[in-house]
Amino acid sequence: MDPGVDHAGTSFAVMSFSAEGRAVARRWAAALTATGAPVWAWHGDGATERALAELRDRLDGATVGWRLMLAGPEADVLRARSLAVERDAIDAEIRVHVCGTGRKRVWCAHCGGTTETECEAGQAVACANCGRGLLVHDHVSRRHAAYLGVLADPET
Amino acid sequence: MNPESRLARFPFPLRADTYRYSTNIEPARVPVRTETGEWGGVLLDVDDDYAADLAERKRILKADPGRLQVLPHVRPACWDALLTCLRELAAQRPDELSLRCEGGELAWRNDLLGVCARFREGDDDALPGGPLGFLGSQIQDDIVLLDQREGALWADAGLVTFASGWSLRFDVGMRFDEVHGPVPRVHEDGVLARAERFLLRLRPGQEYRRTNWSLAAGGRLDHSAESSPEWAADRARAATARGRELAALVHLRVEVQHLVRLGASGALLFLIRTYLLPLAELARVPAWRLRLGRVLAELPDDIAGYKGLTPFRDAAVEYLLGS
Amino acid sequence: MTGLELVVTRSAEVVPGVRELVLARPDGGPLPAHPAGSHVVAECGERRNAYSLTNGGAEPREYAVAVLRRPGGRGGSAWLHERRPGDPLVVSAPRCAFAPVLTARRHLLVAGGIGITPMLAHVRDAVRWNRDVELLYAHRPDAPAYAADLDRLLGERLRRTSDRREFRGLLGDALRRQPLGTHLYVCGPAPLMELVTDTAEAAGWPAQRVHRERFTAAEVAPGTPFTARLRRSGRDVAVAAGTTLLDALHAAGVAVPSMCRQGVCGECRVPVLAGQPQHRDEYLDEHERAAGTCVLPCVSRSETGVLEVDL
Ligand code: HEM
Ligand code: FES
Repeated sequence: MDPGVDHAGTSFAVMSFSAEGRAVARRWAAALTATGAPVWAWHGDGATERALAELRDRLDGATVGWRLMLAGPEADVLRARSLAVERDAIDAEIRVHVCGTGRKRVWCAHCGGTTETECEAGQAVACANCGRGLLVHDHVSRRHAAYLGVLADPET
Repeated sequence: MNPESRLARFPFPLRADTYRYSTNIEPARVPVRTETGEWGGVLLDVDDDYAADLAERKRILKADPGRLQVLPHVRPACWDALLTCLRELAAQRPDELSLRCEGGELAWRNDLLGVCARFREGDDDALPGGPLGFLGSQIQDDIVLLDQREGALWADAGLVTFASGWSLRFDVGMRFDEVHGPVPRVHEDGVLARAERFLLRLRPGQEYRRTNWSLAAGGRLDHSAESSPEWAADRARAATARGRELAALVHLRVEVQHLVRLGASGALLFLIRTYLLPLAELARVPAWRLRLGRVLAELPDDIAGYKGLTPFRDAAVEYLLGS
Repeated sequence: MTGLELVVTRSAEVVPGVRELVLARPDGGPLPAHPAGSHVVAECGERRNAYSLTNGGAEPREYAVAVLRRPGGRGGSAWLHERRPGDPLVVSAPRCAFAPVLTARRHLLVAGGIGITPMLAHVRDAVRWNRDVELLYAHRPDAPAYAADLDRLLGERLRRTSDRREFRGLLGDALRRQPLGTHLYVCGPAPLMELVTDTAEAAGWPAQRVHRERFTAAEVAPGTPFTARLRRSGRDVAVAAGTTLLDALHAAGVAVPSMCRQGVCGECRVPVLAGQPQHRDEYLDEHERAAGTCVLPCVSRSETGVLEVDL
């Protein structure tokens, strides 16, 4: 679902990941240009270190009135959102639209490592850090930008 | 703890022969009479396991420092929690525990553990583990601190070594409803929304409590998500055990949870005190044996599954209700 | 209201028309701790007024309030202006709906006139925990209450004025240049609160960053008396104003199981046979409320003079 643009904002950052995300971001940018508010737009394949560094620069210079809009796969959108909240943005200042692939991040309860992969809650994935077989729980931390992975119980 | 006093102080939580989740909140410090004795007269229960439980926490924390989590903005609330709880302990056991103000410094003395500490409020380095780490070395309860903002409660700090199937390190920073994401029914039923509205309105100094329960294989307090590789073997054993073997292995695990609105910081302090009783001991009380048996027999599958007791539920019912 | 019975220990006019009262327990003992931005509801003769606490909230032994004499008011403030050391005063336990947001990168405080009182507590708390704080203070030319204290605590971080145009300029400027992560706190006369919130909204501030102290008394009204008719035992139980139905039933020896006594757990639910319940709980859903066939006696009352229940 497209949440649409937040007309209460006075300046905007629009970040998109993947082709599907880009299409959404174009729609948003068009709607925002009409308002005359300053818009900064960024597009890439994913929430890479380079993408996050760009966002960090924006956040450090932002004043109250700024809004962040994110479109793309869940893993990327959650990472960017997590950085924004760590740097003092609040829920009301962020709009997200998840689209594209089912790429998720899974946080290992045993080693703290994160594995990024196509998966669904209820499936098992191997932890990229410690190798344990993890059951992906339907439990998301927006701060870790990840799903909970716990050693798959041989009993269940 | 010897079996008699464990039984006498055990907070048996089931009030009827069926169990469903509810917003089961009641005022703190009101004693509850049970078949075997009494529980609930105090906020912080110091019992015969005090030293042993704290030694266990120390061991766990040393192996995994991630059990202590503090997001930086809740530092003042950590100090508030520490001082509130130390004062409470001192008031409860004035002969063995004391908190004094001496020349701008605080002096804590704990004769039960042989601990003395001097520190200045706000000086995190003066205490091992900072204020929350130190608090966790003086009370048996697990600790979570919730910050209130944007019309919600956020679990922003804690020291949790005895969790039942969850991970504080994963949950830290979540909103109250997100923390409860995996719990079945409570979202649709409105149980959780009512609880949160109630908690948001708690005024400085107000104190409430609730209980929660489950069955667990093995007598360890630490049933966290992190440590599941350690308890998987007991779970596997319980899945095939029957009768006396099962009754010695499987425990009723009860959490007495306190909810306290701290004064100076306005944060919500959530204390979780965990009690374990093997089914074999529980069965010595006929009323408890029958009640737990009936509750387990009737418990809907989704709740049983969430509580993790499916592998040994039928065997436990058979043990408790069989002749 | 479970009140604190205090005595006035000091009473002084800090600027013309504003009297500061310092309150303590008769035995000087500790008072309930509270966050910055808390208020108490004081029983002022016939009236009840809310006042911000200006004292530090950790382990307080004194509560301090500042009372503006309102000539056109309903008498509560005039009554308080007559209190002198030694006089008794009953206040509620502290409540708080205006605490500093701990995640804030900066705290921007805007006060008008007597609205400075909760800000004083905010400023003290911010200084104690080393928070980034800025105060904009609009006051009458002759009556800048607490200006000296604030000057000392804040130095350059305090801007104050008694010129309306200058205030608007400072306000607009302040609201447009705050780093993301700033929270805004406003207290003062209604027109000033409106001006600040409107200016903030126009500058793109989301409501979650804007905090207003409005003293909406959260107090539940004591309600009117009614009679509970118990169908099974054929008895009538009188429920006085300020007494809950549950307490009245208990006093009459009728056992009803209860738990939270706050209307959230559902434990005390009782079927209603006649009369219309006045629902004050959080437990029943819309349908149950409308049907009126049950009531939670720990908080709810009756719209009708008689409420017949299945007890
Ligand atoms: C009155 C308030 C509360 C109510 C009614 C409530 C209710 C519940 C219920 C019904 C469960 C499922 C328990 C089970 O079947 O074993 C649960 C789990 C849990 N609760 Fe609460 N709770 C409350 C307060 C809190 C607070 C303040 C926290 C602090 C963060 C908390 C943290 C948790 C956690 C971490 C779990 C385990 C979730 C998981 O499996 O990941 N609860 N709660
Ligand atoms: S006692 Fe909980 S709703 Fe009445």
